[in-house]
Amino acid sequence: MSLSAALKSGDVTLLPGKRDEDWKWTDLRGLLRVLPATAPALDLAGLAEGPFDALADQRHVVAGGHENVAIDVPAGSERAVALRVLSRDGGALAGKVTINVGPGAKLRLLESYEGDASAYVTDTAIIFVLEAGAAVERVVLAADGAEGVNVSQAQVTLSPGSEYSQTVITNGARRQRIETQVTHPGAEAKLRLDGLYLLEDKRHADLTTVVLHQGVDGATDQFTRGVVRDQARGIFQGRIVVEEGADRTEARMRHNALILSDKAEIDAKPELLIFADDVQCAHGNTIGALDEEALFYMRQRGLPEAEARALLIEAFVGAVADRIGFEPVRDIARAWAADRLRA
Amino acid sequence: MAAVKQTIEHVESLEKYQHGFVTDIAQDFAPKGLNADIVRFISAKKDEPEWMLAWRLDAFERWLAMDEPEWAKVHFPRIDYQDSYYYAAPSQKKGPASLDEVDPEILAVYEKLGIPLKEQAVLAGVEGAPRYAVDAVFDSVSVVTTFKKELAQVGVIFCSMSEAIREHPELVKKYLGSVVPVSDNYYACLNAAVFSDGSFVYVPPGVRCPMELSTYFRINAENSGQFERTLIIADKGSYVSYLEGCTAPMRDENQLHAAVVELVVMDDAEIKYSTVQNWYPGDPVTGKGGIYNFVTKRADCRGDRSKVSWTQVETGSAITWKYPSCILRGEGSVGEFYSIAITNGRQQADTGTKMIHLGANTRSRVISKGISAGKSSNTYRGLVSAHPKAKGARNFTQCDSLLIGKTCAAHTVPYIEARNGSCVFEHEATTTKLSEDQLFYAMQRGLSQEEAVQLLVNGFVKDVLQELPMEFAVEAQKLVAISLEGSVG
Repeated sequence: MSLSAALKSGDVTLLPGKRDEDWKWTDLRGLLRVLPATAPALDLAGLAEGPFDALADQRHVVAGGHENVAIDVPAGSERAVALRVLSRDGGALAGKVTINVGPGAKLRLLESYEGDASAYVTDTAIIFVLEAGAAVERVVLAADGAEGVNVSQAQVTLSPGSEYSQTVITNGARRQRIETQVTHPGAEAKLRLDGLYLLEDKRHADLTTVVLHQGVDGATDQFTRGVVRDQARGIFQGRIVVEEGADRTEARMRHNALILSDKAEIDAKPELLIFADDVQCAHGNTIGALDEEALFYMRQRGLPEAEARALLIEAFVGAVADRIGFEPVRDIARAWAADRLRA
Repeated sequence: MAAVKQTIEHVESLEKYQHGFVTDIAQDFAPKGLNADIVRFISAKKDEPEWMLAWRLDAFERWLAMDEPEWAKVHFPRIDYQDSYYYAAPSQKKGPASLDEVDPEILAVYEKLGIPLKEQAVLAGVEGAPRYAVDAVFDSVSVVTTFKKELAQVGVIFCSMSEAIREHPELVKKYLGSVVPVSDNYYACLNAAVFSDGSFVYVPPGVRCPMELSTYFRINAENSGQFERTLIIADKGSYVSYLEGCTAPMRDENQLHAAVVELVVMDDAEIKYSTVQNWYPGDPVTGKGGIYNFVTKRADCRGDRSKVSWTQVETGSAITWKYPSCILRGEGSVGEFYSIAITNGRQQADTGTKMIHLGANTRSRVISKGISAGKSSNTYRGLVSAHPKAKGARNFTQCDSLLIGKTCAAHTVPYIEARNGSCVFEHEATTTKLSEDQLFYAMQRGLSQEEAVQLLVNGFVKDVLQELPMEFAVEAQKLVAISLEGSVG
């Protein structure tokens, strides 16, 4: 059951749907009765610059005719790579990206999903392998079109002493799922998985993570925030599995969401599956409206209500962007979020 | 400290499952297996009216078309539903008019269980002491109901389900299956077809039930599944507290228990439903022989400002599959769920609650404490949802898991669905082992390791124990200790 299998075979019955537990809130089978034709090859010459191109020393594009990308960061080296996934003209795109980060190497991956206004269907599989002591900071900016369907699934394999940090920022699509699965060996490897969704109209975004702790001394820190308005729907599914023997694991998961309309919806499933005893695991989940008392306080100080609301939301959202390590990217993320909120 | 000491003494006195004895009483069995004729047999045995039989047969038809659910985190060999008895009634000469007429062997069983059937006499001289009405279910048929008269004076109906079907068909027809529909789930549907007996409570408008009502269940006949059906209706402005406690004898073959409990709460009414469950958990090493406890419990807060509070202490059963739920339909209705689930040995528990907010300003609170030890698995699975009309819905959920030992598992699987802009949902969960520092501190003060663990565990579950009626709380605390026996060191 996966979108990539359905795209490969053209068989819509292979699409995941409501009856699949992990896809119950992101029903693709009910949505897609037919799959579009494969996207035609895209001419990369004369392509407008992507949001992160200026910050990167290597640029890659996944688009029609350019389905496969391989990124290799040799041992001890450092790279800043911009990866763009371009969805156009109502076509179907099945992209595959493999990323190897050698021992002690550092990769800054700046990923953007850019969709037009058509009803495209895009599936991207990204395979990360981090060797011992490697470090990856991945920032995903998902700017899909309102009619697009976009599924991105990353498989991350960590090695001892490696470090992986991720921030996903999205404003959703018709159906969108950004999924990250991490195999965590423990052994002082560090993992940070953050997410931010800002949804309006009828947009839908699903941030799903699965972390598998397989060895002792692992740490995971997850922080996701979201704001939904209109008839939008935000989904957070986080699963942390601590396997037998993976002692001294420390895992934290937080999801906070603001729901600003009576027709909007937020669904959350923060799961902890623990098979070891010497662990510290916790998750917190809150869903609610803006704090009326804080609003009152600000209005009392002379701020107009609209501005007070905007400030509160901006502060709420800013907490995720603040955790991005690389400052220029942090600024881009903040500006992008501010644009979405003001719209 | 007294409670701890008592607990320790209890554990020491305990070499094996205390309630693991089998009483030999003449049994009246339906033949093994399940088909429409067995359903008819059960209905005929119980002298039921035609409409009840039709209801059962309809449920049986639907059950045949259903599949057994497989989503829970529990594993067990497939149940052969044809290899079980669906009706077993202790044979009696006549219907008992008083306690004296009850089979003395049955009374002896109750005595071993420590059920206060004769509490009337004990409490006679004590003014203002809490009183309990016991509707004892011995296998499948309610044997005796005490305190009926006093309850009748205030208009409270408290009787067995079979009696209610005969005496109060209008109430049963109106409410039975209205909270848990016949085809709600596989086990509830099976229950609807073959349910044996259970309790029926109706509290009329404005009445505060003068005593706590209680039912003790006990599975006795070998190989006989027990299918209770409980229905409690609290009419406008009424209040009732209902206690349910369970023990079962030791045996080798797995026993299926698929009960259905329906609560209906009208305007300004309140039901407090407490359960202590310590059915035979199976052999601690092989897991063989324990009870399968597949229960559907649901409360429908139909009235405005109605309230339901579920409190459960689940320490027994090989497998527990149970999600006491609240449908918060009435404006300003309140649902509460307090749970302690303890698994040891090879036990598996998948339990939690559903809080479905439909009405405006509904509130719910979920406190769940799971403890796993041995090779057991303990899952909290819960749903909190607010529908678009549930303006101002409020939920607080706290589920904490405690792990004792290297081979146990604790899972937390909450589902949260918010569909309007004015609800506030908060959820927090933690999973940890017993704190080494606290253990060290307690042992440094002279407690043995076992005592120290019990002290810390008691502290861990305190929030839930507080919600239990006094008598149950003491029993529950003992149970917590017994359940964790031998899990440390």
